[in-house]
Amino acid sequence: MALDLNPGQQAGTEIPGLPKATNSPRRTLLWVSIAAVVVLVLGLAVPLVLTNRYYMGLTLAAAILSFHALSVGFLAKHLGLISLGHTAFFGGAAYCVGIAMTHWGWSPLMAALFGLVAVTVAAVPMGALIMRSSGMVFLMLTLALGQALHTISIQPASRDITGAHDGLQLQAADGATFLGIDFYALLVPQSFWPLAWVMLVVVIYLLWLVGRSRFGSLLEGIRENEERMRFSGFGTFVPRVAAFTLSGAVAGLGGVLFALNAHYVSPELLSFLAAGDALVSAIVGGLGALLGPVLGAFIYTFSESFLNFGGNLQLFMGALLVIVLVFFRGGIAGIVGTLYGRSRRKRAQKTTTTTTARPAGPAEPAAPADSKEPGA
Amino acid sequence: MIAQLLNGIALGSLYMVLSSGLAMIYGLRGVTNFAHGSLYMAGAYVAMSVSANVNFWVALLAAPLVLAIVGASLELIFFRSLQDRNHIEVGLVTFGLSMILERVIVLVWGEQTHTVSPPELLTGSMSILGASYPTYRIFLIVVALVMAAALVGWVQYTRTGLYVRAASRDVQAASVLGINVDRVSLIVVCVGGALAGLAGALAAPYISVSPTMGMQILITVLIVVVVGGAGSIGGAMVAGMALGVLQTMGNIWVPALAALIPFVALVVVLLWRPQGIAGKKA
Repeated sequence: MALDLNPGQQAGTEIPGLPKATNSPRRTLLWVSIAAVVVLVLGLAVPLVLTNRYYMGLTLAAAILSFHALSVGFLAKHLGLISLGHTAFFGGAAYCVGIAMTHWGWSPLMAALFGLVAVTVAAVPMGALIMRSSGMVFLMLTLALGQALHTISIQPASRDITGAHDGLQLQAADGATFLGIDFYALLVPQSFWPLAWVMLVVVIYLLWLVGRSRFGSLLEGIRENEERMRFSGFGTFVPRVAAFTLSGAVAGLGGVLFALNAHYVSPELLSFLAAGDALVSAIVGGLGALLGPVLGAFIYTFSESFLNFGGNLQLFMGALLVIVLVFFRGGIAGIVGTLYGRSRRKRAQKTTTTTTARPAGPAEPAAPADSKEPGA
Repeated sequence: MIAQLLNGIALGSLYMVLSSGLAMIYGLRGVTNFAHGSLYMAGAYVAMSVSANVNFWVALLAAPLVLAIVGASLELIFFRSLQDRNHIEVGLVTFGLSMILERVIVLVWGEQTHTVSPPELLTGSMSILGASYPTYRIFLIVVALVMAAALVGWVQYTRTGLYVRAASRDVQAASVLGINVDRVSLIVVCVGGALAGLAGALAAPYISVSPTMGMQILITVLIVVVVGGAGSIGGAMVAGMALGVLQTMGNIWVPALAALIPFVALVVVLLWRPQGIAGKKA
């Protein structure tokens, strides 16, 4: 009897509200906003739970890598473009902070704003140049952009500015603070965490809003068929450059946070391997979902610390990348999505089988669920 | 001056041999082989071991042979089964493979930098137009140019070469006309791997053998292939030689900016002619 009642109730609620309640965009916005606030608040408590300084440091490193991975993932998700050059924005912003503080004696806050603004402004002409291309040429141009900056940073001629191979140690006046946090306290993961976490949640929320906006749909249209979008009367170049700039700004924010936390910038930030870190995170996490790259960044950072015995990290990461690309194309977010979809379909299947008043055996729902899969 | 020009040509020859293999694989499978730098590096290490245990001449044969086998397994395991996938995805698979391969090489041969001495016949220097120049580098240039000529001859004048050109232009049409694209591709990837191995073996006594040599050259060679026109062997050769000479000469004239020359060349060429020097279509 109880079984019969449940589906009946569900059917009853679904029939009157023709546009299904859960699909209403405004309702989704509300729920996601609430969820974001809850996650934001819960996340602030992480340093209270995670008292081990080493793991706290890893968590923070993962959060900072998330910005870089998110920026790469954003372009991949919305435009289908793979970038190997967002190190230019991530590392570039970090260097801007370092140069402004060490050479010009700016306060940490001014230097941070300078880093973010400089990178974002620089992303516009870069985007205008690079976004004329797509596919493999885009990948090559972004790679060249990042590598060119790396090459500049290590030139002996630029030693006075970038410190060449030695990098820059950030220096601040005594008693300098950043948003009320003592400059030297920024080195401590526990005290830096709130800053990084709030920024991360805000950026993810904003990217989610962008993704579901008109602009987001426009980008997805361009990804699917740029010519058709142009044919339908949409300008495609400006949105592409805007998307590139936005993703550059996200990577730049990560770079700023990195510099503030580490108090140190080095050419490794601009290197091919740094680009690889972000790309591997984004791919392993899953390019199809907004949260995929964040998930990937956390997995990457933690496995980095567990697998890095004897310097074999590269080996494992390469193997993981190959396995994910060959067998699990959606990354981990894709696997989760598939499992979730399957269980939901199974549940839906169960309710339909029970409404047709068939005694549902344990093995029964599996068979129809399978046969329905291609159709669903 | 002449010595510097010859240095540029020597570097250009290495770029030429490497990039022609990369361009061939790109032309046929549409895949940018990020593992090409690692193949070159593997070639150098194999050559180092063989020349230490047997001699350099054997090494010059062994390295391409071993790398041809590596290339064949690359084709059989990955390229063939993934040929229906997005080309960028397959490119990223090779990126992962290069991470694996580089680490395996370090595990086998260690992290230190090695030097390989050229065979006795090629030590010392000879006089070229009044300038004294190391004999080994002349040898390198000659071998690379002969290889390049042989490759061009193979592609232009043999039946297999005809198949390669046909399949590079349009894989589907070629297979409809009865060309076994899988077989052609196997040959091409083998040859590409062998060329990378040869370049590595040639480079071993010229540049020191170290775990970073693959990554360093990969980026330049990728740029060479794009500048030359994706998939065009001739374009890659011309661009490789030009870039090698430009880079070396730039080192004398504008040392601070010389390292940026490949990137500037890439941006200029792609903006001016997005399909590359010898590209057929965008």
